[in-house]
Amino acid sequence: MKLLLLLLPLACAAQVTPAAIGNSPNADWLTYNGDYASTRHSSLHQITPANAKDLVAKWVYRLDGAKRLQVSPIVYDGLMYISNTNEMVALDARNGRQIWHYRAKGAEGARVNRGLAILGDKVYFATADCHLIALNRRTGGPIFDVPYSSFAAGYTTSIGQRGFVASLHPDTGKETWRFWTVPGKGEPGSDTWGNFPAEMGGAPTWTTGSYDPALNTIYWPTGNPWPDFYGGRRPGDNLYSDCVLALDADTGKLKWHFQFTPHDVWDWDANESLVLLDSTYRGKPRKLLVQANRNGFYYILDRVTGEFLHAQPFVSKLDWTTGLDDKGRPKVVPEKIPTPAGTKVCPSVRGASNWMSPAYNPATGLFYVVTLEQCDIIVASAKEPVPASGFRGTGNEGIPTEPGKFYLRALDVLTGNKKWEYPMPGPGVMWAGTVSTAGGVIFSGDDDGNLVALDAKTGKDLWHFSMGRSLFASPVTYMIEGKQYVSIAAESDIFTFGLFTPPTH
Amino acid sequence: MRRLWLLALVIGLAHAQPSIEAGRELYMGACSGCHGATGEGSQGPSLLSGRAGRLSHQTIATIIRKGVTGSSMPDFPLLPAPSVANIATFVRSLTAPAISAQLPGDPARGRALFFGDGKCSTCHMLLGQGGHPGPDLSNIGAERSVHQLRESLRKPSARLEEGYRSATAVLPDGSTLRGVARNYNNYSVQILDATGRLHLLERRNLKSLEIAESSMMPPVANPEDLLAFLAKQSTRPPPQQ
Ligand code: HEC
Ligand code: HEC
Repeated sequence: MKLLLLLLPLACAAQVTPAAIGNSPNADWLTYNGDYASTRHSSLHQITPANAKDLVAKWVYRLDGAKRLQVSPIVYDGLMYISNTNEMVALDARNGRQIWHYRAKGAEGARVNRGLAILGDKVYFATADCHLIALNRRTGGPIFDVPYSSFAAGYTTSIGQRGFVASLHPDTGKETWRFWTVPGKGEPGSDTWGNFPAEMGGAPTWTTGSYDPALNTIYWPTGNPWPDFYGGRRPGDNLYSDCVLALDADTGKLKWHFQFTPHDVWDWDANESLVLLDSTYRGKPRKLLVQANRNGFYYILDRVTGEFLHAQPFVSKLDWTTGLDDKGRPKVVPEKIPTPAGTKVCPSVRGASNWMSPAYNPATGLFYVVTLEQCDIIVASAKEPVPASGFRGTGNEGIPTEPGKFYLRALDVLTGNKKWEYPMPGPGVMWAGTVSTAGGVIFSGDDDGNLVALDAKTGKDLWHFSMGRSLFASPVTYMIEGKQYVSIAAESDIFTFGLFTPPTH
Repeated sequence: MRRLWLLALVIGLAHAQPSIEAGRELYMGACSGCHGATGEGSQGPSLLSGRAGRLSHQTIATIIRKGVTGSSMPDFPLLPAPSVANIATFVRSLTAPAISAQLPGDPARGRALFFGDGKCSTCHMLLGQGGHPGPDLSNIGAERSVHQLRESLRKPSARLEEGYRSATAVLPDGSTLRGVARNYNNYSVQILDATGRLHLLERRNLKSLEIAESSMMPPVANPEDLLAFLAKQSTRPPPQQ
């Protein structure tokens, strides 16, 4: 006990290195999805299917004024960092006591914040008005506050009328490269839009990408083209909307791309997590990239070349295509293209899955993903699109007699075959993702405000705790002084759980 | 021709915009007797802190015109509207962020003091330059009024910054740890020391813990140059007036 107490301050002098981030998540949780590969699989194994029933609430931290926290907390060296719109706090991760609070004074806009980053001695977050802010991680003192896009011109973190991925230097915030997700006039891919102006194309980059250090490649998913439900003015595939982009980390040069939903008229952003894994696939060692896409298909790609290897539906409510060709291109059912009168389409606009993070456990070979079985009526407009007017080409309606249902599904990562599923009580609000642990326990939110623990192999329900709040964030796990914790943001609060230990006095 | 027109526009605007300077003159004549020459308060309350900082321009103008019934705050029904606006603008400027103030001190000398003989940078950081464990001052000009800054420098212990009380803890091995308590309750304490290390401690493991009611910051006798320098510290350019 004494020893640990004295070690803690010494460890505080440590710097977060890229190598340490490469080894995360272990005791620390260092990126939005825990690791570069976005597996959300932690090596921690103190909590097991045998003892998960002994989980208890350890502390709750309330961030005054916060509404729908969507952050995955970052935990390093005993401190937990949480970001919200234009503010960040650091907590003692053992008891939730606040250590510092930074508000970006003068920042405009109120758009949701989805997370933060850590490197060296700094923590980073983006404000709603598109500034990157770096803070000293121990004091919360600012190091720099620099704009990377123009709020005045209609950009807000992380949405704009023309998407981009930018690389900013961690010491200064200075931009080193930028890749526009809608090509400019005359650039490759610009011929997939007719005469539609690139400045309006959309394809926003509103979730976090993945990174393969060995290939020095960043994989970034893109959102749908604008207007969402009306494609009449943008004939063609609309590159690089609904894609995964493989970008050279040093230069931002496009190595390859794969488009899941060409000429999207259903708002099926491809911003779901891109999970990287190495495995023997059809008898050959391969570097794979997998995604459970909003359009209802689970995809397997070769992440070196971008080659399409396999896809299959992971929901049963899917009727917009008769299947994919051997390049992964969908054959669209013409009757499923939205019309002014309204068209029933499955999956719904919310998607078969969405930005709630999946997890992958290499020991079980299973991919854990929150899925939604639902259809919508989509109404398309033939009106001329007016940018920045809120125009989306009309919209979607739910079908009251067919409420959707959420399931946490475990898929065989190499086939997409369903191994088990955990139905949620719903229909409710559900934007929570998952975390996987080497202890063999999966943690997920449900659509009734519970954090649930499931057996990773069987899906057996081991434990739950009702937080009484709607969930918009994914859980994380970490360890301090030999104790494993699980945390999740729930509306204005961070809830943290651990195994029961009798109090010592 | 075009320049003349522009000039006319600027003069026109200057007339239309309430002026702090014109307001100060009127204030010295009509208000300073009760609210003090610098707004520090005497018979009337201070206009530098507390409630006064939260009053809008409109509310101040109404208080001036109508007075406060049941108190000695008089009404000024005959003051012309532009004069009321000028006084209200001046009163607001008393609590405005320091960055918007015109100050007599020399910011260059202030800077030299801050990083030199004043030893301020041994305890404070500016955009990553400096030391611990005092509060980071990178944005202090945008967050505090001149009055608040002046008070912090002259009487550091008068209003302690939450999260910066001096703490002395005796650890289980008998050694003593000094710093500021960034937070504490009956169960835990989080101490930042002068080297920038955070100590996350459980109180039941400590031999003793003392949290002082005074600041470790030494008072500054003649703060004008430092004030001029600190007033400029802002992480973002000040908003356009
Ligand atoms: C005869 C003394 C006197 C004079 C002269 C006077 N005030 Fe006051 N003022 C007061 C008192 C007393 C109050 C407190 C009223 C109350 O009880 O709320 C007050 C309140 C105020 C308040 C509200 C402050 C608060 O914290 O709520 C403002 C603003 C104010 N005065 C501005 C002025 C201005 C501007 C002038 C000059 C045009 C002026 N006063 C002249 C005595 C005076
Ligand atoms: C021994 C360390 C130490 C030194 C030296 C020191 N300060 Fe401080 N300072 C503190 C601490 C601790 C606080 C917070 C407690 C308080 O409110 O007094 C503080 C508070 C302040 C504040 C108020 C901050 C706020 O958020 O309102 C200002 C301004 C300030 N110091 C400026 C200075 C200047 C200028 C100097 C150099 C002349 C200086 N300090 C020297 C430790 C120090």
